[in-house]
Amino acid sequence: MKKVFVILKKELIDTLRDRRTIMMMVILPVLLIFVMVNITITLGRSQARKAEEKELKVALIAKGNAEAFQSFLVKQKNIALKENLEADKIDDLIREEELDFAVVFEENFDRKVKERKSGDVKVYFKASRENNIAKKRINNALKEYNEDLLTLRLKEINDRYEELQLDRSFGEPLTIDEMDLSTTKERIGEVIGGFIPYFFVIFCFLGAMYPAIDLAAGEKERATIETLLSSPASRLQIVTGKFLVVTFAGLFSAVISILALYLAVKQATDLPPQVLDALVRIIEFKSIGLVFSLLIPLCVFFAAALLSLSIFARSFKEAQSIMTPLNILVIIPVLIGLFPGIKLNATTALIPVLNVSLATKEIISGTIKTGLLLEVYFSLFALAALSLLFCSWWFNREEVIFRGI
Amino acid sequence: MIIVEQLSKRFKLTRKQKQELEDAGDTIMAVSDISFTCQPGRVFTLLGPNGAGKTTTLRMLATMLKPTSGTIKIAGFDTVKEPQAVRRKIGFLTGSTALYARLSPNEIVKYYADLHGMEKEKFEKRKKELFNLLGIDEFANRRIAKLSSGMKQKVSIARTIIHDPEVVIFDEPTVGLDVITARNIIQLIRSCREEGKTVIFSTHIMGEVSLLSDDLAVIHKGKLLFNDTYETFLQQMESRSIEDEFIRIVGGDA
Repeated sequence: MKKVFVILKKELIDTLRDRRTIMMMVILPVLLIFVMVNITITLGRSQARKAEEKELKVALIAKGNAEAFQSFLVKQKNIALKENLEADKIDDLIREEELDFAVVFEENFDRKVKERKSGDVKVYFKASRENNIAKKRINNALKEYNEDLLTLRLKEINDRYEELQLDRSFGEPLTIDEMDLSTTKERIGEVIGGFIPYFFVIFCFLGAMYPAIDLAAGEKERATIETLLSSPASRLQIVTGKFLVVTFAGLFSAVISILALYLAVKQATDLPPQVLDALVRIIEFKSIGLVFSLLIPLCVFFAAALLSLSIFARSFKEAQSIMTPLNILVIIPVLIGLFPGIKLNATTALIPVLNVSLATKEIISGTIKTGLLLEVYFSLFALAALSLLFCSWWFNREEVIFRGI
Repeated sequence: MIIVEQLSKRFKLTRKQKQELEDAGDTIMAVSDISFTCQPGRVFTLLGPNGAGKTTTLRMLATMLKPTSGTIKIAGFDTVKEPQAVRRKIGFLTGSTALYARLSPNEIVKYYADLHGMEKEKFEKRKKELFNLLGIDEFANRRIAKLSSGMKQKVSIARTIIHDPEVVIFDEPTVGLDVITARNIIQLIRSCREEGKTVIFSTHIMGEVSLLSDDLAVIHKGKLLFNDTYETFLQQMESRSIEDEFIRIVGGDA
């Protein structure tokens, strides 16, 4: 045990003095997270504002019908009405973005309405995030016109209307009230809960990568591995010491990234207060503690896998070129976890990395089930133990340790 | 004392190596049935061309590689059965070994002393002696990356013998060193001999052979072609120079 500590101490000092490692472990996650959070918030806000304030070029084709509608439309903010356009050119104009919306009333709209039937209105547009927000203005105008027509109809049958004690609810047999029982925490957890493991897992991997390369392939490149192997430390002690440092580096990097996320969100002061409140509550001690307990075995697995690859490599460069594509292999399951339909269940709880990503989402929303959480732990710890066993067996193989030296 | 008996090492060949060596099987004998003894207070030289099996032999002595067959006893311990005990008795240095660039000489020497489980007082005393002797004191706290290659070599020497090993193994220790720095190593080997340590070193440089050898073994293609005292070697010489004699023994066309 004492020798493990001697190795651990030396590797830790060595690692913390390495600028490249510090860059990857601390500076990169902090910078990336601050930049990403600020870009997301700023862009999101400015896009929404732009959509609301944008002057909409709207074509109204009514052929003498629906005269009242125009006044409702013009009442909306920033509407540039284009009249006298030909109906068959509308498609092209919208596709080329010369026009944002077109509202087309059917030819005998007024007659149909008069006959107390429904008149047909078509709204043409190109769906996009911006247009979806802007469409509210068109919908408002249509809704108001609809209500206006309904009121007229009701007035027309005024006599019987009073007699039958009818009011406007006659036209709306259903009153629909959606009662959303999800808490703000749950809703936000669903949205950003997917991103948090993204930071955690990626930075955990990246933070562990450089020390893993330096501590094994680097030692080969400097040929110091021979001196170390001829010292009284056993191979198991050597690999344990190195492994602990790599694990520490990965976890440290993950802590840094979550701290950076917390601070970045906090400094973005002009977030709506309820969102900010929910975000701050999400990053509360209990959920973060739980998420972290998942990260520990994951990081053990990363460390063991990275060290095994690193000791196999002949040089620093070879280790790097083996590990870089692995990044993508780690990112893929995390990305899958971001899809809305994919949930934590008995199967997904067994898939490494994906299970951490999904479980994090549920922990943050507060909906995690104990049984599934235990399954995730089981899967992660089994994987960590296996990879660790493999790593120490691997370190004992002459053809691995002396490959290329 | 080092006693090597009928030592062999077989390596599996990779696909690439097989292509390079035509008519080779799946394995190659890097060291084949060699026996020799190194006595305390004498310098044993292992002389051979590149690829002769020198490094493989020395790595087996240092317990890094396990022999395919045969035995090695170092200071009375078997390298396969008691590798930890063997490692406590040896110091190992190769010419290609660098040091940890981000540590200082003080930290490096302490690291190896700690790995050997040295007691604090003994370590401090030994360190003072060695640092004085080698003149390391003036740069003892600078990072290795900022030292000249001569300074680094001195630190390597201090690192190798900090725990006062009974047996010292040098694998081509002067490879890539300039004349002055190489001289430090020659000096080290001599002082190890004077202190009564068992010294084995491998080389392909004839000058070093005549400077240092008490006993000499010539190794070629994994086999020992000569194994006796250096004196006997000189007496039996059929060629005009040591170099010619070496080439004659390994059967090369001079």
